[in-house]
Amino acid sequence: MSKHCVMGLFSDFDEAFAAISDIRKTKVPGVSVDDVTLKSPIEHPEIEEILGERPVHVQKFTLLGAIFGVTFGFFFLSGAQATFLVQPQGGKPVVPLPSNFVLMYEMLIFFGVWCTFFAFLFLSGLLKKRHTLYSEKVSLDQVGILIDVDEDCLEPVKNLFKQHKAVEIREEVIK
Amino acid sequence: MSLENLLGNWSQYRKGHEEGGFHDYEHQWGMAIDLDICIGCNACSTACYAENNLAVVGKERFEKGQAMHWLRLERYWDQNELDHPEQGASFLPMMCQQCDAATCEPVCPVAATYHTPDGLNAQVYNRCIGSRYCSNNCPYRNRYFNFYSYYEDSWPEPLNMQLNPDLTVRDKGVMEKCTFCVQRIRVAKDKARMENRPVADGEAMTACAQACPTNAIVFGDYKDENSQVAKLWKKYQVKRRLTKQKKDNPELRGYRIFEELNVDPSVMYLERVREDV
Amino acid sequence: MYNEKDINEQIAWAKINEDVLRSMENPRKAYWLAVLICILMLACAAFAEYIQYTTGMGPANLNNPHMWDMYIATFVFWIGMSHSGTLLSAILHIIHADWRKPIYRFAEAMTTFSLMTAGLFPIIHLGRVWNMYWVLPYVSDRGHWPNFRSPLVWDAFAISTYLSASMLFLFIGMIPDLAICRDNARGWRKKLYTVLSLGWTGHDKQWRNFRKVYLLMACFLIPLAVSVHSIVSADFAMSIMPGWHVTTFPPYFVAGALYSGCAAIITLFVLLRYFFRFEEYMTTPIMEKTCKLTFAIAMVWTYLNLVEFSSVWYGHDIYNKELLIAKATGPYAWVFWTMIFCGSVAPFALAVQKLRRHMPTMFVVSLLLNLGMFFERWMIVAPTLSMSHSPHQWDIMWGSIVEWAIVFGSFGWFGLLFLVFVKIFPSVSMYEVKEMVFHRRRHLVNEDAAAKFHRRKDDAKSASGEPGLEGA
Repeated sequence: MSKHCVMGLFSDFDEAFAAISDIRKTKVPGVSVDDVTLKSPIEHPEIEEILGERPVHVQKFTLLGAIFGVTFGFFFLSGAQATFLVQPQGGKPVVPLPSNFVLMYEMLIFFGVWCTFFAFLFLSGLLKKRHTLYSEKVSLDQVGILIDVDEDCLEPVKNLFKQHKAVEIREEVIK
Repeated sequence: MSLENLLGNWSQYRKGHEEGGFHDYEHQWGMAIDLDICIGCNACSTACYAENNLAVVGKERFEKGQAMHWLRLERYWDQNELDHPEQGASFLPMMCQQCDAATCEPVCPVAATYHTPDGLNAQVYNRCIGSRYCSNNCPYRNRYFNFYSYYEDSWPEPLNMQLNPDLTVRDKGVMEKCTFCVQRIRVAKDKARMENRPVADGEAMTACAQACPTNAIVFGDYKDENSQVAKLWKKYQVKRRLTKQKKDNPELRGYRIFEELNVDPSVMYLERVREDV
Repeated sequence: MYNEKDINEQIAWAKINEDVLRSMENPRKAYWLAVLICILMLACAAFAEYIQYTTGMGPANLNNPHMWDMYIATFVFWIGMSHSGTLLSAILHIIHADWRKPIYRFAEAMTTFSLMTAGLFPIIHLGRVWNMYWVLPYVSDRGHWPNFRSPLVWDAFAISTYLSASMLFLFIGMIPDLAICRDNARGWRKKLYTVLSLGWTGHDKQWRNFRKVYLLMACFLIPLAVSVHSIVSADFAMSIMPGWHVTTFPPYFVAGALYSGCAAIITLFVLLRYFFRFEEYMTTPIMEKTCKLTFAIAMVWTYLNLVEFSSVWYGHDIYNKELLIAKATGPYAWVFWTMIFCGSVAPFALAVQKLRRHMPTMFVVSLLLNLGMFFERWMIVAPTLSMSHSPHQWDIMWGSIVEWAIVFGSFGWFGLLFLVFVKIFPSVSMYEVKEMVFHRRRHLVNEDAAAKFHRRKDDAKSASGEPGLEGA
């Protein structure tokens, strides 16, 4: 049994979403909605319910980065000030908390932002090699539904796509 | 290790000026300047130029305000109705006040100016990158910046032989100011240490105090109760760490300039006695 | 009166792609002329900086009380201008104001480039420029660190954080657009976009993460922008100088920054709309909204000015009061009153609808507003230094040709960066405009359906003899 990957391109978004709803309602046996990926030129928050539970983990890294920024900032700054005792006093204490708060705040944001960026790169599957079933039309104005199926589910899925007025259907065999 | 330092000395590192500060001062150099005796002769200023390798910048740059006089004689004219207009003239020798809570120190981005355990405000020429924030923050405007490489044309041969070898000649881009002739203080302290005795009063003498013909400038260790400076401060009831002095007798002439800004200067001025002719 | 929409919902998505990609094609002569002018301006600055580097700060006419002048004023000006992008991208994104979608891309680019310009000035104004890295906290074998108490070190931290966060925000926001560019490019451009778009395919997992990340970055950028300009204001507010030691400086500077940024957005809006024929996207209603926003911020700035003046006027601080009177009546008075006119009177042109809709007028008004803000920055720096505590050191000072050349050149540097940007990257966000069109069309459809439903209900009611809605 070889695995196939089939992509249907739709220019009518409502039809595409209807197709996914159909899959969710298991109108095609053997294909679950978890195998579906949607490719589109814009984001579609309305489809989230139909596509199912797909959580996002980026914010955990952001929080981690921010907390790291604050604590590292405090210990780094205070440590530097405690070492470099020649530091001017000007009536101010050696470890001045107001100045350190300002810098800790900046470091919170600095590390928060960079952790978010790296989390985005790794968690969103960005840097992987592009699937051959990529169509330039997706960046223009069409929506693509990509499903991994077994060979015997191939025809029903294609029929479903044609039922929902797919503009183009492409397939590929993946071992 | 610095973290150990930090955790071990946290309470000490958190002390600011109001709680006595981080340092335990071994000396605290101060000055008392009697404006009544001062005749405005500028000998102090000239001595400072000679002692500290100050460049004479020339008339054009002086007029532009780019002069390097660490100790400047400020001349003021009292414009009020006076019988004799000359009575209106007054002079004020103004140099770095070596403030205990100096406003210039916290704003230097590279820590080129700091407070020594001597109570002096030190300027580290090597570290200065010339951001000039310290000068902007000085209420007395006593900090001078090397706008040019003055050494290139200020001391043509053989004038370069007059330079004082005890301290550097500064290059462009560096901030400088009166140091209470710290090179002389160091020599006095070294000598006293080698001879195993405390520094005597009058041993460390600034160039301006030394040159003043009327002895209007008195320099010494404020911490040493027997020094002339300490006695003068006590006599005129001027205390450190106050923004407003409380005096028994309002006729006592001692005051500090801009002390209400909470900078705690180390120089006490004795007000000029104005005659009623 | 004018019943226009922010954007035509029926616009075809293919047309959006085509229009924006066309703006990145081979440039016409006018573009190369603009680039040449910017390079010449930059050359002026480079020559002036060479003189300053080799001779010292003296040629800048700085002297004992005036240790800062045009460089710091221009530095604050450029940082202020950088708040435009943050306002438009981040703040308006969080409140779901979708009219920002066609215009936020160039605003965000403007933020990044103003920061890159502003970052030059703390370096240029140093007496020993070659040692400027000493403000950074690096581990040195001599055990010295920068002085973290100093607002200038806070500046170094804040500006580097803001610059990197802004660049990241701009870049992340551009990824889907770079994918579009990649799909439509050839040659070196295709290679560039392939690398930069990081393999974006429009996958729903990518979109989901993208939307989260964009929101998180916007949430970070807003307090960052506020804190950065507050820190820059701390350069003044943390000193004891009269006229600087003012607690309202942080909000005052931030308001001034938003103001200056919005005015710059209007300027670039008019220019891009004209040169790239973006009338479909940078529409008149969007210009109107931007103008209204600018007007609101102008009034906030005016209010904070009044607060500062009145608190000084009613206070007993002689130094501050005399300084304020000198600002208004002394040798710097013409700068002061120009600032008041450009900052508080000129924005009323933004309140008149007829003027708002006229692009050339808005171009001129926005330049006036920014002129007012530039003067405001200088009015903060120089008069305080002229008339501080010690009367012996009172002085009047005007900038020298060296200072003016460097300030002038900074505009060339900014212009050059921006010109390069608009030809390599899309200056209108294609995917966001598509979203805007999609959601508005959907909204129209829903409205239509709702209207139909209500009409049918009324018809049913009237048919059954019940009183229907009157005048529905």
